[in-house]
Amino acid sequence: MNESLTRPAFAYSSGLQPGPKMFSDLAPLTDAVTLSVDGQPVRARAGETVAACLLRAGVPYNRLTPVSGAPRLPYCMIGHCFECLVEIDGIGNRQACLTLVRDGMKVRRQDGAPPALEPSVP
Amino acid sequence: MSINAPLPDADVIIVGCGPSGMAAAVELAEAGCSVIVLDMQPTPGGQIFRNLEANLCDTSLAGQSLLAALGPAYRAGADLIQRFRACSRIDYRPQTTVWEVRPDGTVGWLQGMNVGYVRGRQVLLAHGAMERPVPFPGWTLPGVMTAGAVQTLLKAGHLKPSGRIVLAGTGPLLLLLANQLHQLGVKPALVGRTDRLSDSVRAMRHLRPGGLVLLVKGLGWLGRLKLAGVKSVTGLENLAADGAQSVESVSFTVGGKRQTLPCDLLIVHDGIVPAIDIPNAAGLRLQWDGPNASWRPATTPDGLGASTLPPEMSAGPCVLRVTGDARKIGGADAAMAHGRVAAQAILAALDHGAGPSAEALRAVDKALSVRPFLDAAFPPGLAQDLPDDDTIVCRCEELTAGDLRAKIRSGFRNMDALRGETRCGMGPCQGRNCMVTAARLLQDETRAAGCLPTFRGRPPIRPIPLGAVARLSGLAPRATIRLTLEDKPENASEDTVDAPAE
Repeated sequence: MNESLTRPAFAYSSGLQPGPKMFSDLAPLTDAVTLSVDGQPVRARAGETVAACLLRAGVPYNRLTPVSGAPRLPYCMIGHCFECLVEIDGIGNRQACLTLVRDGMKVRRQDGAPPALEPSVP
Repeated sequence: MSINAPLPDADVIIVGCGPSGMAAAVELAEAGCSVIVLDMQPTPGGQIFRNLEANLCDTSLAGQSLLAALGPAYRAGADLIQRFRACSRIDYRPQTTVWEVRPDGTVGWLQGMNVGYVRGRQVLLAHGAMERPVPFPGWTLPGVMTAGAVQTLLKAGHLKPSGRIVLAGTGPLLLLLANQLHQLGVKPALVGRTDRLSDSVRAMRHLRPGGLVLLVKGLGWLGRLKLAGVKSVTGLENLAADGAQSVESVSFTVGGKRQTLPCDLLIVHDGIVPAIDIPNAAGLRLQWDGPNASWRPATTPDGLGASTLPPEMSAGPCVLRVTGDARKIGGADAAMAHGRVAAQAILAALDHGAGPSAEALRAVDKALSVRPFLDAAFPPGLAQDLPDDDTIVCRCEELTAGDLRAKIRSGFRNMDALRGETRCGMGPCQGRNCMVTAARLLQDETRAAGCLPTFRGRPPIRPIPLGAVARLSGLAPRATIRLTLEDKPENASEDTVDAPAE
């Protein structure tokens, strides 16, 4: 499988470098779908959550906090902590750990508070 | 309720589709009730049986080794899920979040961009537990995750952690996960337990026959980790994670000596506590559970909650029951047993039976009898001491313990005043991760005693897209009237008390 599709080099607008890869697949991806993450194609296992897909891809953060710009990745994975918030198909602050991947889904990581009214799909 | 009361959508609405919710749903449906089950996850099972149906069908080598690593306790849910799926009277609504529950049986739900209210003659809250919040320096860094999160990634993401892994904390789940990782070929750099030998010794007097099995299981896990050469310590204190943009190292104290280890992923666990977001926002009375150091809803043995709302704010008697780990931490067996008890109590309330059977009540007692032993053997560790001033308490609003202490000292001496002044608990998680620490800080600073105070919960307890609200369905104007709550400023001209029906 094409490694560049599971772990693409993201454009790090904040200057963040990709961290060490924290998760790897138990088995090669089969039955995969393709999402757009910040405009780049990323493969995901059908039926998994957006949060799992982003962790496999090795993104250094799902969101930068609105208060200090600190990077955050998922903490609880069961819908309680809200650290995994991303923009999905133009709607901000969606819980990536509760949203299943879909072919063609457009995911954008969040930098601070998402704009409430502007259309922001790339 | 008034003559304008809308007709119920189902006899019973169940919130949550884990062991207790499924057990109750099956019992109720088989007795002829119409049941709506609302659940956040895409498939039935709750967190313990997460993604079990799909994993059982996976015949690949990797799938089989995952099932083997997750063990018989995971596969044990298959029968209940199958029976749940087979009940045609159950209206199962997956990927649905609940953002409001009222004592009269009204439930606000959100599914994708659809939002609405449904009404049950009776409501059963089976929404489960969460991991105890553990504020320590660096706990917001990418690369700090809970043990439950890593298990979820195994079960539903088929992802295993890699790199330098440290597990820290206490409780059966921490040791179980360490063993599962080992079976999948992942060797943690350290399993650091906050519990000590003295806790285990003290726990022995609580050991009941049912606990022996657990004890043997736990000793087996410890033995296998030792054989595998996984480094392990007990009595770990003062955990801290360090790093610029993600975890780079962890530090801790053992036996008075400070140690630092390089680390890519820090997995923390400090036991599980009932999720009280829904009961608290529904206005149910909470009580402090000393041995588990957590809030739990105050209920009768069959799960009936007690509304704290004044009579003029309630439309009829409280029809909310709480079951499973949401009522009292007990694990899957206790949850399934209590789900049946709660269902039998609901049937009696609907004039369909004589109430919980002696056999069902005994099953709950038996399953819960091992808890005093576990509570004593694995007391809260990471969350035992209140955090230092520099440690973040409210992850969403990035407020430290020092920020909160200063505001409490300057006069914000109750939870809602503190929330209004600092925004602690007003971020997207709505206090799920900070409320208990804020309450402990408040009680510590004001030297108050008694049950820890809570934030007043208000709907929506989960964010709803504005566009979805515009399409809200199931709205019954008279039934949605809410009185102004006393901690909000009164506005005499605001017609929130008795709005005319359309």
